[in-house]
Amino acid sequence: MIEARNIGIAIGRSQIVTDVNFEVGAGELAAIVGPNGSGKTTFLKALSGELPYSGRITFNGRDLARMKPWEAASVRAVLPQSTALSFPFTVREIVKLGLTGGRSGVSPVEEEALPERALARVDLEGFSGRFYQELSGGEQQRVQLARVLCQVWKPVMDGGPRFLFLDEPVSSLDIRHQLMIMNIARDFASSGGGVVAILHDLNLTAMFADRIFVMHRGRLAASGPPKDVLRDDVIAKVFECDLKVGVTPGHDMPFVLPQSAGF
Amino acid sequence: MTTVVALAGTSRRATSQGDRSPRARAAIVVLCLLLIATSLFSLASGASDASALSVMRGWIFSVSSADPLSARDSIIIYDIRLPRLLLGILVGSALAVSGAVLQGLFRNPLADPGLVGVSAGSSLGAVSVIVLGGTLLSPLMALFGNFTLPLAAFLGGLVTTLILYRISTRQGRTSVATMLLAGIALGALAMALTGVLIFIADDRQLRDLTFWQLGSLAGATWQKIGMVGPIIVVALLTTPFLSRGLNALALSEATAGHLGVPVQRLKYVAIIAVSAAVGASVAVSGGIGFVGIVVPHLLRLLIGPDNRFLLPASALLGASMLLLADAVCRTIVAPAELPIGIVTATVGAPFFLWILLRRRGVLDL
Repeated sequence: MIEARNIGIAIGRSQIVTDVNFEVGAGELAAIVGPNGSGKTTFLKALSGELPYSGRITFNGRDLARMKPWEAASVRAVLPQSTALSFPFTVREIVKLGLTGGRSGVSPVEEEALPERALARVDLEGFSGRFYQELSGGEQQRVQLARVLCQVWKPVMDGGPRFLFLDEPVSSLDIRHQLMIMNIARDFASSGGGVVAILHDLNLTAMFADRIFVMHRGRLAASGPPKDVLRDDVIAKVFECDLKVGVTPGHDMPFVLPQSAGF
Repeated sequence: MTTVVALAGTSRRATSQGDRSPRARAAIVVLCLLLIATSLFSLASGASDASALSVMRGWIFSVSSADPLSARDSIIIYDIRLPRLLLGILVGSALAVSGAVLQGLFRNPLADPGLVGVSAGSSLGAVSVIVLGGTLLSPLMALFGNFTLPLAAFLGGLVTTLILYRISTRQGRTSVATMLLAGIALGALAMALTGVLIFIADDRQLRDLTFWQLGSLAGATWQKIGMVGPIIVVALLTTPFLSRGLNALALSEATAGHLGVPVQRLKYVAIIAVSAAVGASVAVSGGIGFVGIVVPHLLRLLIGPDNRFLLPASALLGASMLLLADAVCRTIVAPAELPIGIVTATVGAPFFLWILLRRRGVLDL
């Protein structure tokens, strides 16, 4: 379980995040949504131990501020929005970096084959020998996800859940891979881990999240299960956009919802 | 160079699996053999006619002590060529490994000890001694004697790095961008001060300066090796402990932290090791360019950017390259000598350009 209490984050003189309370438990997928610049990524950076914060964050009861880098690395893995490389690493070499400081939870013998298993998981079987820099943006994003999965391959370790932090994991993916990646996150939670994902697609959020945290100007505007949070008034206030929940367009206007997928 | 090309050809298959570690291990074995070969070649070549054969014979006979070497050949080999060989190995591996570590630290394949001002700081220290040694700094000369020049170069490099670190580190976090820019500014300042010193130098000093600035292994003595050898060896032995962290750093500083790497400590140790190795090298051999940039580049194309293999391979190839360059310097205009910096730049710069043009896409510059 991750608990964050009264989190405030200031960068330089500007207060980016104010008084945010957040929690995600074993088996849960928590989505953070909100307009651009609302502090979602900044908050996730504090959870990742990357930025100093005021307030208190605990992982399974342990204070994040007192955890060493390698201790934090064994309870959570972080997928950044995008990763550019200056050196010609192969896909396998990148995925294997996931095994740098954390603990995958499998035996050293199994770990040898883990990069290939993780790549198969993100639909990149046979990509091991390709150069990372030659892949498309969406493929690179999935390679990074495979690396992140290696770091916390077993969702549960030492009796406690482990966590995936995903910053816009589907932003550069086609719809099939969006669903595939969200299902990987869903499975990770179902197996006893926890997931924190920053999402922009409200339909995917409604479909996969157990709990939604809506951020607005650095504060929490609403939080709770999708039904309680995805309301006309919340969306109108936060996104400043006059949208209606659950209203379909006229019969001559096609629309495609991820919920209709035959998964 | 032919071994390198041949190896790249035979192990294409390993790349298709994406795991280049078997190829990298094989390359390190080949590079060890290459260094042994270049060492023997270096011992055997020079302005004197003490040939490879007589070197071998000399070793065998001096062990059996039946027919000792002539006094002249013995002096050439043990007091001139052997220290020069060791100095070449030390400086070549120090420059190549420093380049590879800095490139990992800055996540930039173009980073080089010259780029962050370390070499410029060392040069300023050394030039100060050459120009002001007889006047302003004469008390120091009296105190340290022949050690004054190497010591000043070493201190110049170290001071530059420490100032650089103070400028670019706030609340325990080092910004690589700030550091790079501050390094360029500090380097420019050191070069300007060096320029002032060169302006006031007399004719004899200018000759010394030119030769030293172009780089040379010619002044190698056992005394110098005793002084810079331990510094370089300790700095080089630190780097294998940095390799996994530097690999993770390739993704980004934040991601390396997420992977469990103590990023601040890694950067601190890397900076100290590099400044010590480069300062010591510049002190005894002047400005030898392009080793730190060409050697790691070449090896990345061959065995990939994994620092666990790249760093030891850079040490081996850097040493071999510098020995070969030095052999060229000693023989091409014998009995005179070319400064080695001219050779490394003449070979290194076009080669570097060739690498850039050939692999532009993959290097993503």
